[in-house]
Amino acid sequence: MKCKAFLALLPLLAATTLAFAEGTKLPTPPFGKEPVVLNAYFETGFDIPFKLAEEFTKQYPNVTWDIKQDQFTNLINSTPRLLAGDNPPDLIRLPTMVSFSKQGLLKNLDGYANSLGWASWPVPQLSQNRVAADGTRGSGALYAMGLNYSMTGVFYNKKLAAQIGMKQPPKTLAEFEDLLAKAKAAKLLPIMEWGSAKSGMGLAFPLQALMASVGPTQPINDWIFQKKGATIDTPSNLNAAQHLEQWIKKGYFPTDINAIEYTDAADRFTKGEGLFTFNGDWQNPAYDAAMPGNVGFFAMPPEKASGSPAAMSAPLTYGIAAKAKNADAAAFFLTWVASNPVARQINVDVGGSNPGGPADAATPKVKAGSVTNETLAAGVVVGKAGTAMDFIANSTSAIFAQGWTPELQKMVGGKQNAAGLLKAVQAEYLRELAQ
Amino acid sequence: MKIGRSEIFAGRAFLCALMLLTVMPFISIFMTALYPSGTMPSGFGWPEHMQWGNFVEAFKVANMAKLLASSVFIVIEVVPIALVISTMAAFAIGLLRIPGSRALLALFVLGLTLPFAGIIVPLYYLERRIGIYNTPLAIGLPLIGLYMPFAVFWMRAHFVGMSTEISEAARLDGATTWDLFWRIHLPLARAPISSLGILMSVWTWNQFLIALVLVEDPSRRTMAGALGAFQGHYATNVPLLCAGTILILVPTLLIFILFQRQIIAALLQGAVKG
Amino acid sequence: MTSMTINTGARAAAAASRRTSHKRRVRREGFVGWLFVLPAFLMYATFELLPLLMSIQYSFLRWDGIGPMTWVGLKNYATVLEVPSLFGTIINAFKLVVFFSFVPVALGLIVASVMRRVAAGRLGSLSRTVLFLPQIIPLVAAGIIWGWLLAMPGLFNQVLRLVGLGGAARAWLGDFDWALPAVGIIGIWVLLGFCTVLLETGMSKIDPSLYESARIDGSGWLREFFSITVPLLRQEIGVCLTVTVIAALSAFDIVYVTTAGGPGYATAVPGIQIYILAFTEQRIGTASALAVLLMALVIIVILPIQRLSREDRV
Repeated sequence: MKCKAFLALLPLLAATTLAFAEGTKLPTPPFGKEPVVLNAYFETGFDIPFKLAEEFTKQYPNVTWDIKQDQFTNLINSTPRLLAGDNPPDLIRLPTMVSFSKQGLLKNLDGYANSLGWASWPVPQLSQNRVAADGTRGSGALYAMGLNYSMTGVFYNKKLAAQIGMKQPPKTLAEFEDLLAKAKAAKLLPIMEWGSAKSGMGLAFPLQALMASVGPTQPINDWIFQKKGATIDTPSNLNAAQHLEQWIKKGYFPTDINAIEYTDAADRFTKGEGLFTFNGDWQNPAYDAAMPGNVGFFAMPPEKASGSPAAMSAPLTYGIAAKAKNADAAAFFLTWVASNPVARQINVDVGGSNPGGPADAATPKVKAGSVTNETLAAGVVVGKAGTAMDFIANSTSAIFAQGWTPELQKMVGGKQNAAGLLKAVQAEYLRELAQ
Repeated sequence: MKIGRSEIFAGRAFLCALMLLTVMPFISIFMTALYPSGTMPSGFGWPEHMQWGNFVEAFKVANMAKLLASSVFIVIEVVPIALVISTMAAFAIGLLRIPGSRALLALFVLGLTLPFAGIIVPLYYLERRIGIYNTPLAIGLPLIGLYMPFAVFWMRAHFVGMSTEISEAARLDGATTWDLFWRIHLPLARAPISSLGILMSVWTWNQFLIALVLVEDPSRRTMAGALGAFQGHYATNVPLLCAGTILILVPTLLIFILFQRQIIAALLQGAVKG
Repeated sequence: MTSMTINTGARAAAAASRRTSHKRRVRREGFVGWLFVLPAFLMYATFELLPLLMSIQYSFLRWDGIGPMTWVGLKNYATVLEVPSLFGTIINAFKLVVFFSFVPVALGLIVASVMRRVAAGRLGSLSRTVLFLPQIIPLVAAGIIWGWLLAMPGLFNQVLRLVGLGGAARAWLGDFDWALPAVGIIGIWVLLGFCTVLLETGMSKIDPSLYESARIDGSGWLREFFSITVPLLRQEIGVCLTVTVIAALSAFDIVYVTTAGGPGYATAVPGIQIYILAFTEQRIGTASALAVLLMALVIIVILPIQRLSREDRV
C-alpha cells in the first residue's frame, strides 16, 4: 500500500519538476582529471543514454565511455552474465532488478541516495527501484535509478483520425472501441503494434492499458512487485484480456504482427500505417521528427466516464554492478543527468520523457507542437489519479520472454484464449518465483 | 552410354534450376544491400542509384577491422594446435593401435554427437572458474577441445588406411615412435591435414553460440558471433544489414572458392571412411 | 597362434623370447602412444567430457548460478517433461529432423544421381560448388538472409504476388503454421549441398560396370536408382542422416536470429530454451536437465542409424 502512496505523488513530481526555476547545485565529481572509462551497457534503438553519455564527456572530457549495446531481449539474456562477470558494467539498463539484488549482483545505492541528494528528490522517483529483503519491490534498499520517467499510452495519427471523424481523444473505453470499429470500417489499420519474439510482444501494452481501464491498478502493481499471493489471473484482468482477444479477432492489429519488430512498428506508424499505436513517450522525438504536428497522444481512457485514465509509467532504470570499478563516477553521472540543465534538456528532447530529479531543477523547454507536451500533461493527470503502474513485463526477469510474449503471440495465432493466457502467465510467474 | 537426349536435357535443366534457387538468396541480399541505407527495399530489384557506400558504412559501424583481427587471431589460436594434437592422437589410435584404441575412439566419437547447446551452460561456469571467461582464450580453448572428436576421427581414417609396412621397415632401421610420426607419417598426411585445417578455420570463423555466451564484447568475438549483435543494432535498416552480412560472408566465400577442390575433395576422401 | 607350436626346447625358447620382445614393444609403444593421445584427450576431456558430466550434475540441482546449490533429485526432469513450453521443444526438434534430414538426404540422392548421369563434366563440378556454398557460410548469416527473404516485403512474397498468389503472402516466420517449416527450408538450403556432394562421392565409388550392365539391359534412371544406387549407398546415407539429424536436434543459430523461438513456442527448440533458462531465468538445473535429455535423445536416435547403415559391412 506504501507504493500506491508513492505513486500517488507522481503528479507532485511532474508538477514540481516542470514548475520550479533553476538553481540546482551538482555535487563535486568523484574523479579528478585522470582518465575514467565508464563501462556501460545500453539498449539498442534508444538514443537517450548515448546522447547523455556524449554530453557528459563533453562536460567532463577525461570521462570516456566503453558502450556495448543490444536489443531489449538480448540485453535481458546477457544481463546476469554481465553483472556476474569479471568486467561488470558501471552502468547498465536494468528492466528488472529483484533477482539480481537478491543475488548481490547489484550495488545497493542507498549510500549514493544520501550523499548525492537523491533521497531529497520527490519520493516516487526512487520507490519503484527499491527491493525489500523478501524480494518485493516498492520499498527497501535502492538498487537502480531512473534516467527519466516515462509515460505510456495511445498515440494517434491526426490525419487518419480526421478521416474517421475523431475530433478529440476518447473519454471512455466504449468510445475508444467505437473509434477502432470506425477505423476498421474505413479500411484503416486501427492499431499498429509489434510482436516479434526478438523485440518482445508489444500487445503487452494494450493489454495492460485494458487491465487498468476495466479494473483497479493496485493488484497489477502488487503482482509486478511480487507481493505475496499476488495473481494476474483476476476476473477484471480476464475481462481486459477478453477485450484484447476481441480486438485481435476483429482484425484491429496488423496480420503479420508476430513478425514485426519494435522499430518496424514505430517506423510503419509514422508512415501512416495505423490510426493508433500503444507506445511510450520515449518514441516522441522520432514521431515528432517523422510526422510533425500529425501525432497526438492520450492516456488509455477508463471504462466508465467517472473513472480516471491509467498508464504504465516507469522509470527508465539503470543499475550499477556490485563489483563495478567506477561506481562512484556512474552514480555521479546519474545525478548529473537529473540535475544538469543541458542533460535535462536532452532528456526531454531526445528521451521525450520527464527527467525527474531535484524538486527545484530547471524546467526543460518543450517545443510547441511537440507531442511531448501531451505526454507530460497526461502524466500529470495519471499521477494525480494515482493510477500509474510499472510494466507487467517487468515482474520477473523472464516473464516477458517466457510468459507474455509467447502466450500473446499464441492469442494472435488463435491458439490461446483470454483465460488461458492469464493462467499460463501466472503459472510461469509462480514457476519463476519458486526458483 | 545409353542416356536419352531428352533425359540429358531435363536433368541439366533441373540442375540449373536448383543452382539458381541456391544462389538466389545471395543475389537478393546483394541487391538489397545497394538500396539507400534506411529505406525499405523490395526483395528483388535494382535500386535506382546503387549505394556502394553501404559497404563502407557497414564496415565502419560493424567495427569490421577489429572484428577481422579478432577472428583471425582466434583461428590462429585454434587451428595449428588442434591440427597437431589431433594428428598425434589419430596416429596413435589408427596406426600404432595402442591398447585401448577402440575404447578411445569410441569415447572421441561420442563427442561427435554432443550438441554444443548441451554443454554451453557448464562450459560458461567452467570458464568462470578457470578464469578464461571473456578473455582472448575464451573462444579458442574450448573450440580446440570441441574439434577433437571430428579431427581425431578424420585423421584416424587416414592412418588406418596406411600400410604398416612402411612403419615396420622404419622400425627395423631403429626409428623411434616420434621419428615414425614426424619424419614419415606427417609428410604423408599432408593432404588430409590441410583439408582438416581449412574445415576447422571455416568452422571457427562461423562459430556463433560459443562466441555469444563466452565473450561479452561483440567486436572481440568471431565473425558470426558479431553478426548476431550487428543484426540487433540494425534490424530495421535492411540495406545496411544486408551489406554487413555480405562483408562477413566474403572471407568465408573467398576461402571456399580458393580451396573448394580441397574442401570438397576432403569430403570425397575422408568423411565416410570411419 | 604360438600355442599351436609343438615344443622342442629351442623352438619353444625362441617363440617365448619372440613373444616377450613383442609384448615389451607393445607395452612401450602403448606408453609412448598414450603420450601421443594425451594432449588431444586432455583438451577433449576438459572442454567436452567435463562439461558433459557437469551438465548431468547440474541437472539434479536447484541453482541460480550464484547462490548455494540444492539437491532436488529428478525434479528438473519432471519439470521439463511437464511444462509444455519445454517438452514442446523436443517435439519441434523432431519436426525439424524432417526438414534438416529427410528432405536433404532424399533430394540429395536424386540430385547426385542426376549429376552422375547427365553432368559428368564441367556442369557437374560447377553444380557441386554452387550447391555446397550455403554449407560454408555461418548459419547466422543464413538466418539473416532468409529472415529477409521470408519477410513481408521479401523476395518470397514478391514471387508469390508475381504469380498471382499474393493472397498467400504472409510473414512466414511469424505465422504459427509456417514458421517451423520456414526454418526447415533454411535447413534444407544449408544442408542439401553437403548431402549431395557426400552421396555423389559414394556413387563415384560404385563399380561402373554395375551401371553399364544395367544400362545394357535398358533400365531407366528410376530402376537404376532403386536397385543399384540406394542399396550400395547405405553407408553414405547413414553418414548424411547422422550429420543432419544432429544438426536438426541441436539447431540454435538459425532459430536464434530468425524467430527467437516464436511465435508462441512454434519454433522453440531445445537449444533456445536451454539458453533462455540458463542465462535469462538463471534456472541452471532445469536448463541442464533439458540439455541432458537433448544429448541422450541425439544418441538414442543416432545409434540405430549407425547400426542400420553398417550392417552389411562385416
